[in-house]
This record gives sequence, structure tokens and C-alpha cells, in this order.
Amino acid sequence: MPRFAPPVEQAALYKALVYHSVRWQPRLSRLAGLLLDRPLRARDRVIDALLQVGLCQLSIMHAADHAAVSETVNAVRDLGRPGLAGLVNGVLRKYLRARDALEAELDRDPIAASAHPGWMLEVLRGDWPEHWENIVTSGNLQAPMWLRINRTRTSSREYLQELSDHGHAASLSAWVDDGVRLAEPCAVAELPGFDRGRVSVQDGAAQLAGQLLAPVAGQRVLDACAAPGGKTGHLLELVGGDIDLLALDRDPQRLRKVDETLERLGWTARTLTADAANPGEWWDGKPFQRILLDAPCSGSGVIRRHPDIKLLRRRSDIDDLAGRQRALLDGLWPTLDQGGLMLYCCCSVFRQENQQQVDRFMNSHSDAELLPLSDRLRGRFGDGRGPGMQVFPGEEEMDGFFYAVLRKLRVATD
Amino acid sequence: MAKLTILEFPDPRLRRKAVAVELVDDKIRTLIDDLLGTMYAAPGIGLAATQVDVHLRVLVADISEDKLAPLALINPEILSRDGVEITEEGCLSVPGVYEKVERAEHITLRALDRDGNNIEMEANGLLAVCIQHECDHLEGKLFVDYLSELKRQRIRTRLQKARRLDIDRPHKAPAI
Repeated sequence: MPRFAPPVEQAALYKALVYHSVRWQPRLSRLAGLLLDRPLRARDRVIDALLQVGLCQLSIMHAADHAAVSETVNAVRDLGRPGLAGLVNGVLRKYLRARDALEAELDRDPIAASAHPGWMLEVLRGDWPEHWENIVTSGNLQAPMWLRINRTRTSSREYLQELSDHGHAASLSAWVDDGVRLAEPCAVAELPGFDRGRVSVQDGAAQLAGQLLAPVAGQRVLDACAAPGGKTGHLLELVGGDIDLLALDRDPQRLRKVDETLERLGWTARTLTADAANPGEWWDGKPFQRILLDAPCSGSGVIRRHPDIKLLRRRSDIDDLAGRQRALLDGLWPTLDQGGLMLYCCCSVFRQENQQQVDRFMNSHSDAELLPLSDRLRGRFGDGRGPGMQVFPGEEEMDGFFYAVLRKLRVATD
Repeated sequence: MAKLTILEFPDPRLRRKAVAVELVDDKIRTLIDDLLGTMYAAPGIGLAATQVDVHLRVLVADISEDKLAPLALINPEILSRDGVEITEEGCLSVPGVYEKVERAEHITLRALDRDGNNIEMEANGLLAVCIQHECDHLEGKLFVDYLSELKRQRIRTRLQKARRLDIDRPHKAPAI
């Protein structure tokens, strides 16, 4: 039996409750702290969590006061803690009586106001003194649903018309060639031709990766950390499938997702469970002309889609991730052909994973050059400065992402 | 601890009747560990060997919040049932489907534990429901069998369609 069984007809409400409660947890836990005379005991932490869900309905979702209070109190009983029902009822009513003063107090507290953990705020302030407030604000907003149109079958302009015929308002992007943004999210089953691979669900920022790497027909291409295969599919679409593509991932279960994605899109590629950082394990010695290194990262740029990152990530993770990114960059570099391009990218806004990673790489590799951005993109996103290109979350309604295109210099042979 | 693949309705292998375990040895203990690992990863509160295509009378359950109460039952036999408990049930082999099912509220049962010792125990509420649900699996029975044929057919169609359309997890449910 599964762990949790939401009634089907209320699934949307449950989902909303979970998303909002997780997204605003740093604020809600402070609010609970202000309202409780003393913290709940460790064994009552399920009630602590429930109390925050109750406060979320009142403070964030603006549910009807009476319904939110009585449903939350009922849930205390359903959880088998009837002895705490009075406490929860009292705390929620106390909030309702002092709502304005409490909200004002929360707004004065940086962690509660930004709903981001303290360590993340510190890193963001240090990294982006002029932009951190926009970054955290965007991190708390709902992300739009982006589609990637399979350019080998339909143009994005034609698909936009099709969507409109099906009653879905959408818009094109000036920067993302294959991208279409839906005004309202919908189930993929409602997207014309989704199951036949005419369209994929993928954020605009993720689509820029394939666009920047720009593979050319006939090339040997490596997708080093491929799962779940969204970008793998895009690389193939960009050249009508006419590349020799190898897709790696360390996790066999996640790699299976790549096969499924490619099957839906109707492409074939070699997929292999392997650690890209150790080419000795898997490389046949033939160099690649293009490498996509979409490195594992903190996900600090996609918090708006995955708010649990705020709760699950620890500051100490960042050093570990940066170490892994470095191992991948250094390990893969020898497999790149002279004159070939490697795109280093990740869905982070932390300099340690992005700009500093590329600076370190450039300082330790004399045979690498950093490709300048095209005129079209130069100065358009982030703080407009390099190295690479930083997109902040919410810019052009995209996820936060970082990209750097590295070219291997040709070595003159006499 | 290996993570095993869970069969999904309407896979005919879910209909096989499991046979009794004759000797509780390391092989069975490994199976139990794999079942627990697979169940926790799902995440679930109960899993029967049938669901991972092993047709032996072995099930695991843990309804605690902290994975602190793993229970493994070998050759379980429900001795008595009383009371009525109606629960919104789901099943790891019927993903995304939840329907109300009526079960006994209180059961007593006999089984072997992971060391091959005879045990008798009582279970109430959710644990009782869970054990009855998993014992059904060992008989080749699923919770959807308690529903009307019309409902079951709808579920079958929905799951087959969902599997065709399965896409990357982060995008399956657009963020709210």
C-alpha cells in the first residue's frame, strides 16, 4: 500500500496545500513559533507540520477562516492526537485575532519575509548584492509551463496556432527558438501530439542549453549527465537526429527515463550507465565535437518549481556539489576534440557552482577558451557580466540557469 | 538492499497465488530486506512479494512515520477478523488510484518472523487494513477487485494511458 491516499476529487487541493506549505515553510514555522507559548515536543512534530499547513491556509492561501480552522482541528483528531486539538484550535484563533500585527512582524524578519533559509540568503546576498531580492522573490512565484516544439515536425508559430485552436493561450519567446509559454498550465494529455513527440514540457532556460551548444549534423556528441533526457531529445531535434549521440548517467533507474523520453520522441541514441567524470570506464578514445555537461547542482535556480530544495539542501552540500562539478569538467575535457565545444551549465544561481567554477577551469586549462555570447544574447540576462551567462529565475519567465561555452584550442603541430 | 521493480495492474503476474515458504533462510531474509527497501523508496507502508514478481508468501509493512517499525511476515494466516473499517486505499501496483474499501478493523494472525519463529499478533486500524491488503496480494487479489467491474475497467484504461504518456517527474505536475 502507498504511504498516503488523498481522495481523488481533492487531489488538486492537497497539492496546493503541500506546495504552498513547503514554499512558505520558513515563514510559517516562524509564525508558529510566535504563536506557541513553548515549542511542541519532538514526538508531536506531525502536529507542528499540520499547524503550519493550517496557518498556510489562513495566511497564504486566504481560505475561509472557519473552514480552515475546523478542518485543521479535525485533522489533529484524524492523526490520533485528540489531546492537542484544543491547542491547535487556540493557536489558529490567536492568529486570526492578531493577524495584521503578526504579518507585520514577519515582514520585518529577513528569513520569514523572504521564505528562504538563512544560509541561502547569506550566499545570495554575497553573490548578488544588487539582485538577491529579485532572486528570492521570483523563487516564491509560480513557474509557467513551457513547451519545446519539436522543430523537425512543426514550427513553434504553427503550434501556437494549434494550441489556440484547442483553447490554450500561449506566447512565443524572443530568445528561446523552440519555446512556447502557456498562459495556464494544463495536463500533457491535452497537448496536441504530445504522446507522438511533437512537443515536450521543458523550461525555456533548459532549452537554451541545446540552443547554445548548437550541434552540427554528423558530429559525435556526448550528453554527460543526461537523465531524464529532456536536453538529450532537444540535441537530436536540433539536427533532425543526424548526430552520433552518447547519453550517460550514473543512475541506471534515471537513465531508463532517457530511453523512455527518446522513445516518445522517436529518436535512438546510445545510452550507458557510467560516471562521466571517469572516461577510463566508458570512453572508446574517439573525441567528441560537442559535449553537454548539465552538471548536478544545488538547484538554487529552480526553487520556484521545486520549493522543497529550500528545506532539503544544506550549506555543506554546495562544497560537495562544486567538487563533483569540478571532477566532471576536468574529467571530460580530454574527451573533447580540438576545436570542439563543451557547454557547462547548471540550474543554479550560486557563483561557487557557476562563475567561480568556470574561472577556476580557465585558470587551470591553457588549451581552453571561453566563447563570447552572440550579439543577440550579450548583456541580455543576469547582471550582464561574464564569465558565461547567468539567467536569474523569472527573467523572460525562465528558471535560473548558468551557461558557459568552452572551446578547446587547436594545438599547432609543426 | 536492492530496489526491485513493482508490477503494475493489469499485469497477469499479480494474479498468481503465492506458495508457502518452507525454510526461512538467508535468501528469504535478503528478499525481506529488498522488499522493505523497495517499499520505503516507493514510498509505501506495505508490500507483498507477489508485487515484485516473487511468488512466495512473504509481506512487509511499516506504518510508522520514521521507518522505525518494519514488520516482516512469512506465511501469514489471518485467524480472526472483527469490526468494520472503511479506508481510502491505494496500491503501489495501481498507482494514483484511491478508492474506499471495507475491511475488518481488528485482526489476529499467525506467521513466521524473519528468524523463522512462530508469532501470533493482533493488529488494529491502518496496520490491520494494510496486512489484509497485502495478504490479498499473496492470493492474487487486488483492492480494485472490491470495486465494480465498470470502475475497474476505467482504472485499467487510465493506467494504460498514463503509462503511454509518462514523462519527466518534475513536469508531470506543473508547480502551483
